[in-house]
Amino acid sequence: MEYSRTLKNNNVIYSGTRNTYNQQTTSDFSIRFVFSGNERYNIGKRQLSIYNDSFLILNKGTHYTSTVESAIPVQSFGISFDDKFLQDFRNGWQFKDEALLSINKNPFINRYEHEFDETIYPFKGDLFFNVNHLKHHLDRGLQDELLINEYLHHCLINYFQIFNEEIFQKAQRLNFLSRSTKIEILRRLNLAKEYLYSNFNSNITLEELAEYACLSVTHLLRTFRQAFHQTPHQFLVQIRLQRAKDLLKNTDYPVNEIVNMVGFDCPSSFIRLFKGRFQTTPLKYRQGFSITIV
Amino acid sequence: MKIKYIPIFTEDIESQVRFFADNLGFEVFDKKNILASQECVVMQTTSPDIFILIAKDYGYGNKKCSMVVSTDDCLNDYHNMKTAGIKFYNEPQYTPTGLRAEFIDPSGNRCLLIEERNYNSLT
Repeated sequence: MEYSRTLKNNNVIYSGTRNTYNQQTTSDFSIRFVFSGNERYNIGKRQLSIYNDSFLILNKGTHYTSTVESAIPVQSFGISFDDKFLQDFRNGWQFKDEALLSINKNPFINRYEHEFDETIYPFKGDLFFNVNHLKHHLDRGLQDELLINEYLHHCLINYFQIFNEEIFQKAQRLNFLSRSTKIEILRRLNLAKEYLYSNFNSNITLEELAEYACLSVTHLLRTFRQAFHQTPHQFLVQIRLQRAKDLLKNTDYPVNEIVNMVGFDCPSSFIRLFKGRFQTTPLKYRQGFSITIV
Repeated sequence: MKIKYIPIFTEDIESQVRFFADNLGFEVFDKKNILASQECVVMQTTSPDIFILIAKDYGYGNKKCSMVVSTDDCLNDYHNMKTAGIKFYNEPQYTPTGLRAEFIDPSGNRCLLIEERNYNSLT
């Protein structure tokens, strides 16, 4: 099902299933998801792939190309937030009622330029539930714009929560005195993370990862561990296992093929890692899921 | 929406649990923070979908929650109930167990609408 809904307040929601797609455009602040398959975004020299366990933030005015090249149809879902809706949300979030009542007298309100860290974030927690509910209602033709905007408002709350967890809380862990240094290092570490998210099925060397993140290898390893409490390799294995789990659940590909598709070299180490992470073997996981479906 | 939890407030949780276990055959099922910021003992009743919540009585009088209604989409039900004129104490709030909002019935009883979310299922 494909639809694009423009609400009266100019928020836009797009949902569609497609096999190939290519577009270059300038967007409002928007959040992009995929519910199956993967979609690749080119922003300048960066290539970012999103899957159903991650989402992408695009700032207003960003030029990008989006490409779908997938054997299975890709279900895309995107929300673009109108400037005024976003500004009202931020004002309500940041200022107390008294300040909002004197909105014309307060020089700080309404002048905040929002620029978010334009990268891949994990699609998790309340955002996952609320976006799925919203999509479920829209797929069934929901017309009530008040309810749709209620969901959009909550999606922003949920996004800010993830932003806070992924940026500020992790920046706090870095052993630097200056706050601006912490934020800048974290921004570069997020580049490393997006590279791992997008190229998880390739052989990635530490040197190319460090170069992409504009950090030295030593610096990358040290700060990555400080911020995320794991090494880049451990993070990569985690993504591979998650994507393998998704393929086991949603496709009929043989396990050996999935091992190669997600970038593992050896089936036995894949099975060992899978069991360690999910307390079951890949085959049992797939069988259990099949029984549930029936 | 369906009734899922019936709260029972007591000053002595242990003896209340024993009473339900010994006399009514209910079993301790779990411990959860369903009610505001206090851990409750969840007891399975003989109806598979209905549970008793045993919580500490802090002397809130008639402000205590009298029923917990479970929903699979709290925002949707909150919006529809509000549109129908039902008064809510608060906007939906996020807690470690899920999304919740408290409303009041025409007799002044306080009821909790909750969408329990299994965040661990996403990892």
